[in-house]
Amino acid sequence: MDKTTHFGYKQVAESEKAAKVADVFHSVATKYDLMNDLMSGGLHRLWKRFAVAQAGLRPGMKVLDVAGGTADLTRLFLKEVGDAGTVFLTDINFSMLREGRDRMLNEGQTPPAVQCDGERLPFPDDHFDCVSVAFGLRNMTHKDQALTEMHRVLRPGGRLLVLEFSRVWKPLAPAYDLYSFKLLPLMGKLVANDPGSYQYLAESIRMHPGQEELKAMMEAAGFAKVSYHNLTAGVVALHKGFKV
Amino acid sequence: MITAGLIERGLNHLLRQAPGAAEALARHAGAAVRFDLVLARFDFRIAEDGCFSEAPIETPDAVIRPTPALIVRLPFAGREALRDADYSGDPALLSTLDRVFRQLDWDLEADLAPWVGDAAAHRLHAFGRDALAGIGQAVSTFGHTASEYLVEETELMARAVDVARFNRAVDDLADDAARMEARLRRLEALAA
Repeated sequence: MDKTTHFGYKQVAESEKAAKVADVFHSVATKYDLMNDLMSGGLHRLWKRFAVAQAGLRPGMKVLDVAGGTADLTRLFLKEVGDAGTVFLTDINFSMLREGRDRMLNEGQTPPAVQCDGERLPFPDDHFDCVSVAFGLRNMTHKDQALTEMHRVLRPGGRLLVLEFSRVWKPLAPAYDLYSFKLLPLMGKLVANDPGSYQYLAESIRMHPGQEELKAMMEAAGFAKVSYHNLTAGVVALHKGFKV
Repeated sequence: MITAGLIERGLNHLLRQAPGAAEALARHAGAAVRFDLVLARFDFRIAEDGCFSEAPIETPDAVIRPTPALIVRLPFAGREALRDADYSGDPALLSTLDRVFRQLDWDLEADLAPWVGDAAAHRLHAFGRDALAGIGQAVSTFGHTASEYLVEETELMARAVDVARFNRAVDDLADDAARMEARLRRLEALAA
């Protein structure tokens, strides 16, 4: 019998989760950036800039942006690594990847864009100086396997950055719940005509491991010196770990 | 996490602005440097390009610790105060680090130029430099004045307690004088 996993608050067969997540992102791809700005009040831009500032990138470095979607991080990474560096934009979802690739092309940039599964990365061992996954790990079926893959493709000394929704500061939790389960689906309905996808977003955030759990998962995957920093009272956390 | 990231970014930025600094450090690529700031430790490895890269380190090749003398002298002596830090480890690496750190100088004008233009960056930098020099001059003048006041003038000025004692003595004298006048008036009246 197929093992089950969570898809938001629902339990689904592991083999079905990827397809269900794909449906969500096919549905929201064209309005993804607009919704991000609306939902976070533009804060997601600051969270991403903070993550890039912690990447320690220098010209000539090689970066892998896993689940990079509409290329928000890829664009920032490219500024850091310059012409001598390389940034791979990857996503399992073609609609999202196409949005990101087209956006990069419109800006005159042509980084390699690869449609691939974060749990089975088509890259050699010890290859990248930095791997990032921003708001993507939450949607992966086997997070431990994905982290192990990211560890494999990092060169020794390289770092992984995981930017993801996390556990909000307790006193703010009631207000955050109200916002997530009432306002988000309403905004999804009004702007993207897709309340279900934004209901999934709220639910998947609650099902995602908290700060300490994710830190333990990264350490179990082989990362050293794992630390995290809460952003906006823990709405989002940036985890950083190194391959030794 | 933030502090290590900021130190890494800041140091590398300064290294890129100082000609030859990164090249000098690149000769020690792979070496591990620890900044032991008492409350926190920050570990870096020197990368192939001579920049610092945050890294997990078991045994550092060089350790740099601030000393009380460095902290006291830093605001006044700037980079010269770095000589007061406690350095330990590989002498060749420490010698290079010392040379490189003394060479680092933040070119603020170059950093401002892409944002506000060359002319405005030059003026802002000049204004900031003059303002800082003015503040430094004001602090220095205040220090001289304060020390002169404490050493020279306090001895010439009456203290509050002395003024109060003097006021009380004046009041007593006034009372005595008033009593004497009253007594004289009474004696004059008797004599008349």
